[in-house]
Amino acid sequence: MRRITYRDALREALREEMLRDGTVFLLGEDIGRYWEGAFRVTKGLAEEFGDERVRDTPISESAIIGVAAGAAITGMRPIAEIMFGDLSALAMDQIANQVAKMRYMFGGQAKVPVVIRTPFGAGVNIATHHSQSLEAWFMHVPGLKIAMPSTPYDAKGLLKTAIRGNDPVMFFEHKLLYPVEGKVPQEEYTIPFGVADLKREGKDVTVVATLYMVHKALSAAEILSKEGIDAEVVDPRTLVPLDKQAIVDSVRKTGRIAIVTEDCKTAGVSAEIAAVVAEEALDYLDAPIKRVAEPDTPIPFSPPLEQFVIPNEKSIVKAVKEIVY
Amino acid sequence: MYRKMLEIRHFEEKAFELYGQNLVPGTLHLYAGQEAVAVGVCSNLRRDDYITSTHRGHGHCIAKGAQLEKTMAEILGKKTGYCKGKGGSMHIADFSVGMLGATAIVGAGIPIAAGAGLSIKLKETDQVVVCFFGEGGSNQGTFHEGINIAAIWALPVVFVCENNLYAMGTRQSRVMLIENIADRAVAYGIPGVSVDGNDVLAVYEAAHEAVNRAREGKGPTLIECKTYRHKGHSRVDPATYRPKEEVEEWLKKDPVLRFKAKLLETEVLTGKEADKIEQDAIAAVEKAAKFAMDSPYPAPEEALEDVYA
Amino acid sequence: MPRLSLTMKEGTVTQWFKKEGDTVKKGEPLVEVLSEKATYDVEAPASGVLRKILADEGMDVPVAGTLGIITAPDEELPEIEVAATPPAVEAEEAVAVPERKIEGRIESHIIASPAAKRLAGEHGIDLTQVRGSGPDGRIVEEDVRSLIEEMRTMPRVREVIPLTGIRKTAAERVSLSAQTAPQSTITMEVDMSNAAKLRERVGVSYTDMLVKAVAKALTEHPIINSTLEREQIKIFADINIGVAVATEMGLIVPVIHNANGKSLTEISSKLKELVEKAKQSKLTKEELTGGTFTITNLGMYGVDVFTPIINPPETAILGVGRVAEKPIVVQGQAVVRPVMQLSLTFDHRVVDGAPAAEFLQKVKQKLESPDALLA
Repeated sequence: MRRITYRDALREALREEMLRDGTVFLLGEDIGRYWEGAFRVTKGLAEEFGDERVRDTPISESAIIGVAAGAAITGMRPIAEIMFGDLSALAMDQIANQVAKMRYMFGGQAKVPVVIRTPFGAGVNIATHHSQSLEAWFMHVPGLKIAMPSTPYDAKGLLKTAIRGNDPVMFFEHKLLYPVEGKVPQEEYTIPFGVADLKREGKDVTVVATLYMVHKALSAAEILSKEGIDAEVVDPRTLVPLDKQAIVDSVRKTGRIAIVTEDCKTAGVSAEIAAVVAEEALDYLDAPIKRVAEPDTPIPFSPPLEQFVIPNEKSIVKAVKEIVY
Repeated sequence: MYRKMLEIRHFEEKAFELYGQNLVPGTLHLYAGQEAVAVGVCSNLRRDDYITSTHRGHGHCIAKGAQLEKTMAEILGKKTGYCKGKGGSMHIADFSVGMLGATAIVGAGIPIAAGAGLSIKLKETDQVVVCFFGEGGSNQGTFHEGINIAAIWALPVVFVCENNLYAMGTRQSRVMLIENIADRAVAYGIPGVSVDGNDVLAVYEAAHEAVNRAREGKGPTLIECKTYRHKGHSRVDPATYRPKEEVEEWLKKDPVLRFKAKLLETEVLTGKEADKIEQDAIAAVEKAAKFAMDSPYPAPEEALEDVYA
Repeated sequence: MPRLSLTMKEGTVTQWFKKEGDTVKKGEPLVEVLSEKATYDVEAPASGVLRKILADEGMDVPVAGTLGIITAPDEELPEIEVAATPPAVEAEEAVAVPERKIEGRIESHIIASPAAKRLAGEHGIDLTQVRGSGPDGRIVEEDVRSLIEEMRTMPRVREVIPLTGIRKTAAERVSLSAQTAPQSTITMEVDMSNAAKLRERVGVSYTDMLVKAVAKALTEHPIINSTLEREQIKIFADINIGVAVATEMGLIVPVIHNANGKSLTEISSKLKELVEKAKQSKLTKEELTGGTFTITNLGMYGVDVFTPIINPPETAILGVGRVAEKPIVVQGQAVVRPVMQLSLTFDHRVVDGAPAAEFLQKVKQKLESPDALLA
């Protein structure tokens, strides 16, 4: 099977959906022919589909999302790009109060098929305002769906589903994943929301990880296997809807769970998953639930500082060893 | 137009009354006094044109063609309301007549209206969007972002600012140095015009021109309508921050009465015909009120529906 | 509550002979208490009025605990004593209770993982029986699973008898004995022909002779008549021989005080008396305490040799086997004689094998020439 990068997989999904459905269009800052996307995901699309369907916008995050909302409720399928996940704060009202709630507050009259794509993640020293992982904010807003693909295969399949669905989707990508290669079939496929992926089968401990942390978890699993600990890595792929059953089933099998995410620990996504496990799999836990996340700090700039706060193989291995005994 | 204005006026009075009888949960933001704006603008619109509205949106909704029954039922929180009781007064919507919903976030409708305009542009139809907001909303960041993006993309949107001088209890002069919101249009390179918002024909004229511009693909216009709320900000607001003389001044300029006078003066209507129209309006409102009061509340579990498709 | 024996920790009030308000005279029996193996009448320590009974019948009271209060006829009940129950203690308690309650709950809380608890619940396992292998002794699923496996290989239980009363006391005492004193047993064969003749002639039992023989041997080997208390071997002034008696309730050891000062016949009648009382649980405190050496006899069951366990805090115990006709060699000839095995268990911290053997030899000699015992 061919191997392509995460960004290429995303681009293919965008392109194929735009070919398939004329109401799909893109808007965002610098996504068009002049810059071709801050992370090159939209490269070539303006040339193919024109500047009308691949629209550069002013620096107006509220307007970007508001326009997407207005277009969606009048029959279009907009895919808005927010250049860095941190900037979604600027559009928070439009995302949380308008896009997320229009279907509900208008009693089902509105269909809001908006996809908002944005990258999270630290590791390239671009500091506090360009390195956060804010998925927890959105997991808390009813009406939004959330996808977080960790591989090119997942990225393409999930993005297609997001675009074809009739619900608003926060599509969170990761800066460090864009150049990562993976197997992606030539044929068309989609990945449904709410179905986790068993990235590594194991029997001693369940490690739930999201986005870039999936790769860290897999590396940690390799290290652990040399020490006789067989880790099972579960990638939820979508936070909303969350495949609770897969997580619970895994805990039933292993009796132990470590949740690895790149957001801050307090009230982070791992806290929600931990609560779900405690509610639905308590009697199968043979050890306390472990969370591996960033400490409650903004992301610092200097490399040794930044590396310190991002969870890595070492911190995952350490956490696992604290519960496997 | 006259009938519509009367419907709005009497509808708001009925809502006021029902609120007093404890049948309206929450609060109400009444449009009484501003009818000329909604009717003057919406009389230029087709059914397939769009509008976005605000927390003070009953007038826009009715002017765009929404049914009085379903509007009243929604305000009372009944299952038969436009939003199945999920939205209430501040979130009225009737997508079947292009009323894309009222939002309670001040200014939020501006970029949404631009989005609807973009939709029209991409579909290459000649629909237009009218975006209603207040002078207070013109200070929100979305005003700047939404109008700018509509301008640069030449979107078919008419931005209508209803300047009723007060944003809740805050007078316009305390939050901006300029007097005419229309002057802000210059910043975006679009035409801006200020009109007497209590003169339905003046509003109609200005809107007519702007709507045509939009339909012809010439881009957005900002129309400022100077008007006044007859009542307080919300149902429970006695509006003591407004000087009595000012209120009396404006009441003298009551748009409904002015229009009636004009119609009689130009002999478009006789006194009897005018009264008949009013009676019909009142009857329609009564019918709507009865419908709403007789309708059931939604079942509690329905709260869990309509979150996702 | 008086201390009735070296190892008593608490006693049970069985019967008050007086009620509140009665006049009492110093020395008169006031209340009967039960401790370990015998009942004892507590005497009034002073004359006066029994004002308050603090320990009701059936109550367990620790040694030195208050059973009741006697005051002079016109004296007020001392408030401190009365307050010794509710008020003052209560005030303290009121503050401390919350803390104590939480502590208590935590202390008694078993740390086990939810999975372990679930498995234990499914199989009816008592978690207090499981040893935890996790951090801080946390019980994990594997621990419970191991126990279940183990239990599957255990034989089935037909009846459960709780360990209480005299049985419990005996269990505690032998445990104590085994834990504190390293014990060794030596045996010797005794030709009882002459003893048999003496028995017929005088009417004393073998046990009577044993008591006298041992008592005499102890005067010659006082080191055996001792107790080791911390770093001191204390040699007793008197020789008080306890004779183990099996009763319905269990093993009871009445003591013949000053055995070496009594004649064989005195010992004999005393022993009869004690055995009778033992069988009827009528032994007094004196009769049950003060022993310095114990003799235990399993001969009537056909046992020859056994390894008795020392009666703490004594230094040795003599086990007596059966008297049976056996062929032995006397002066080169095989003859049939009544033969008895003696088994002496001694505390190896106090004496070594040689001195113990010497003592046992004396006992044997005295039994083989028993006429000397009559003296």
